[in-house]
Amino acid sequence: MGFLKEEDKEYLRNEFKKNLKREVELLHFTDKNDNSDYLQSSKALLEELVELNDYLTLTVKDCSDKAELEAEGLLMCPSTKIKSSRKGFINFYGIPAGYEFSGFVEDIIDMGSDNLPLPDDVVLALSKIDEPIDIKVFITSACPYCVKAVRTAHLFSLANDNIKASMIDAYGFSDLAREHNVSSVPHIVVNDKVSFIGALPEKEFLSKIMESIE
Amino acid sequence: MQFTLKRKSEEASSEGVKSHFEAAIIGAGPAGLTAAIYLGRSKIDAVIFEKMVPGGYIVSTDWIENYPGFPDGISGEELGELFEKQSSKFGVRTENVEVTGVNFKARPMIVETMDGSYTASAIIVATGTKSKKLGVPGEEELIGKGISLCATCDAPFFEGEDIVVVGAGNSGIQESLYLSKFARSIRIIEFLDHPTAERILLDRIKEIGKIELLLSHRVTRFIGDDRLTQVEVEKRDFNQKRVLDVKGAFIYVGLVPNTGFLKGSIDMDKEGFIKTNQELKSSKEGVFAAGDVRITPLRQVATAIGDGALAAFKVRQYLEGR
Repeated sequence: MGFLKEEDKEYLRNEFKKNLKREVELLHFTDKNDNSDYLQSSKALLEELVELNDYLTLTVKDCSDKAELEAEGLLMCPSTKIKSSRKGFINFYGIPAGYEFSGFVEDIIDMGSDNLPLPDDVVLALSKIDEPIDIKVFITSACPYCVKAVRTAHLFSLANDNIKASMIDAYGFSDLAREHNVSSVPHIVVNDKVSFIGALPEKEFLSKIMESIE
Repeated sequence: MQFTLKRKSEEASSEGVKSHFEAAIIGAGPAGLTAAIYLGRSKIDAVIFEKMVPGGYIVSTDWIENYPGFPDGISGEELGELFEKQSSKFGVRTENVEVTGVNFKARPMIVETMDGSYTASAIIVATGTKSKKLGVPGEEELIGKGISLCATCDAPFFEGEDIVVVGAGNSGIQESLYLSKFARSIRIIEFLDHPTAERILLDRIKEIGKIELLLSHRVTRFIGDDRLTQVEVEKRDFNQKRVLDVKGAFIYVGLVPNTGFLKGSIDMDKEGFIKTNQELKSSKEGVFAAGDVRITPLRQVATAIGDGALAAFKVRQYLEGR
């Protein structure tokens, strides 16, 4: 039995059909020797998703392939990066489960279309950033507020590909979460320098990025 | 493993940009989503605005047992999802955007959002509430560093730790039950000399040996540099202070309304809860309020649902009578 209900699949088929204009690759790094539910579920979900539209493809690579990970700008495994000919770095460390799943679907649609649902002044300010920005958004899958923070970070990356944005499952990557003193989510870290808590509105989120540059 | 799918309404999926509606609902919690069901079924051209995920405050509630229809209880996340699924069937457009301001004097009235302006002839404010903070020293600095306002979000970070929960109302006790799956010990600090939660919940905490109630106590200070390490509490009347060594604190001391965006445009009490009459009309013609955001003696899913239905009914009458 799959993870997605038939009615959800139907809904997603329609959404993908209506919105996708280009190929989108889900690049999934996993430990192929690990048969845990966590990793198997992640891969199975992605397989189900790409079945829903011809524009979607899944590439599965092994965590041991460090050179590939590095080439993709990734630090850890498991991860799923959403790629297309559109610029932007949209990545998920861990499974986009719970509330994150909706954001994952929206990210796929954005990568496969020209959507950029951000206020014009924010897009303009983002376009002026000319140095590398790394955004880590720590989440837990039961957090209803986290998806907003992850989405904002990913949209920022679509607005300017100097920005790399990753969701990080704080429970799955507990060492990194501890290193960043995470005890409430969403916990956002910009350039390992500025950190804040909460799903801030886009303009306030942007001001935290500017703070990391100053 | 669960995968929550947020759906756009059928209306929103098929339409392009549209900015005028007969009715606008601000907030997609139980009250707002119920109003959407009733307005949608009346074929009133309506929009519902939500800045976060649909479902409202309940989506961060571990378990709900006092909402009829679910004899074994239901998680707040699942109940919120069901509300949304039902409301999305009836054609009310959903806009996932934050409302930043309103103009209730203009006709039609104006709703300002992060994505631009909308107009509506009638408006239901159903923006609910958020957790109240204590306002004691150390709190602001340590929120996110050991102090949390969301047990379902943050409980896993406190596995095997000693923690406190502030407030022995229904929320404080219910969330303590959830936190007990993770924490080593929980002390619930309550200012009153008795807990105000339902008896059934209090009976359950007795069954879990690791939860202790500290009645007639208040938190006077949170202590820690980069991380919460201690909570200073004071016993009422005796003025005795002591310090508890803890790694986490969860605060459930009440609710504050999400009405900042209204900027005083309708009558509210000093805390910001909206004043309404029995028909849920606010002080401004065409503006109604429903659910926890209004002055009401009880804030529950069941009461919010009733409010949503009544507000939608009154909006329909209002639109027909103009």
